[in-house]
Amino acid sequence: MAGDGEPISEAEALEQLRQTDDQSSQYYAAWWLGRMRSRHPEAVPLLLAALRQRQPRDVGAGVEHNAVARNAARALGKIADGRAVSELLVVLDDADDGLREAAARSLGELRAPEAVPILTRRLASGPDVAGAHRSDSPRLEEPCEALLEALGTIGEAQTEVLEVIRPFTTHDRPLVRSAACRALLQLTGETVWADELLRLLQHPQLQVRRAALMDLGAVGWRPALEPIQSTFAENSLKLIALRGLVEHGRGSGAGGGADSDDEALLMAMDALL
Amino acid sequence: MTAANGESQRAADRIRAFERAVSAEELVAATRQLTDCDDPLATVPQLVQVLGFSNPGAAVAAVDGLIAIGPGAVGPLLAHLDAHNYGARAWAVRALAGIGDPRGLDVLEDALATDVGPSVRRAAARGLGALRLESLAEQEREGIRLRCLEALEAGRGDGEWVVRYAVVVGFEGLALPLPPPHPHRHRAVAGLTQLRQPEQEETLVVRLRSGVALKRLDTP
Repeated sequence: MAGDGEPISEAEALEQLRQTDDQSSQYYAAWWLGRMRSRHPEAVPLLLAALRQRQPRDVGAGVEHNAVARNAARALGKIADGRAVSELLVVLDDADDGLREAAARSLGELRAPEAVPILTRRLASGPDVAGAHRSDSPRLEEPCEALLEALGTIGEAQTEVLEVIRPFTTHDRPLVRSAACRALLQLTGETVWADELLRLLQHPQLQVRRAALMDLGAVGWRPALEPIQSTFAENSLKLIALRGLVEHGRGSGAGGGADSDDEALLMAMDALL
Repeated sequence: MTAANGESQRAADRIRAFERAVSAEELVAATRQLTDCDDPLATVPQLVQVLGFSNPGAAVAAVDGLIAIGPGAVGPLLAHLDAHNYGARAWAVRALAGIGDPRGLDVLEDALATDVGPSVRRAAARGLGALRLESLAEQEREGIRLRCLEALEAGRGDGEWVVRYAVVVGFEGLALPLPPPHPHRHRAVAGLTQLRQPEQEETLVVRLRSGVALKRLDTP
């Protein structure tokens, strides 16, 4: 099939993940199983084993082991098997922030409410500590965007959660602001957070406009149709955002037909092909 | 670009201004200006050239310009298809899909089946449903439509949802002008019916779009 970038089969992917001598094969196999959302009974146990291959953080030493573990964490989120939750919760407190980031996103995809106390604890020190710039890399102390997005996706809207997220809407990085507004819009439905996302859709940096597109799509904020159409960004990303607007609030099953609002969104998508 | 060149409507002046553009921004502006002149057809070689410059802003403007020019741009586009410059080829596919000239059929078929870029396959699928066949003899039209249908049917198995979405739009575009009893219309409806089934199509928005297409074809 064109576009999947694979010349391996599921059996080969499982085999490449099982062996531990060649980590670049393991890395690719973990990605492949997630990309294909493998339902093979061995996929989740092997990915969990690859996740346990992680090593204590050691700057300067090879990062190969953790690269495999990170891809395993991501794949476990895509496969969305509940057996992965307890192991991913442990990884949320790993010393490697790249691993924490991957685990947070996957726990979001798994809609795991058990993750909320850990996610909020890691963000509780606020933009000045958890959101502080690191001196040794362009990253922040915590992978704030991933943690915020996971809280929004999981959907537990207790006051304590909202209070932890709110200060990040004024973080100096627009991508963090976007993630915080997205989460608050998902959790509260308050228009004020959508307004900030619409402002970010006009940001001079393409990277910020792209993030705002993805965030509006993830929330499914339908009043964003016209601003999405008119922002300067690739049609591919606008299509993903509009798909989010169409699909939001519907079940993933048969789902009935399209009403006139849906049709307006679909015609906007047609025009971007 | 000087104000004098910006004001002149003559193609030769627009081309001269285009050739003087140095920065990426100047190139985008000069490309936009190219087609807005007394003889757009004269600017086709420059527009085709822009597709190979690795300047997405200018390439978007050139594709729009080529689509506006229409069939007159197809010969030069096909003659300069560059197998070794992926970017240029991808933009040319988009232009050919937008023009809808049947001479682009081979390129569109090949792009939907083999191109590595989902955005190129998606443009090709849309284009395969939008070829302008009115001027051709009936027999020739039938042959081309059949090839489009086969390409779109194969495109239903694409791994990217957005390409399958474009396949739906392609089927709809191909079937709408045909009278209800036409066998090609039936075949497009069969293709769409498959893309509406949750067992066969995992992406909700693709299924919804198929439902809209079937409603428009009056086969709910």
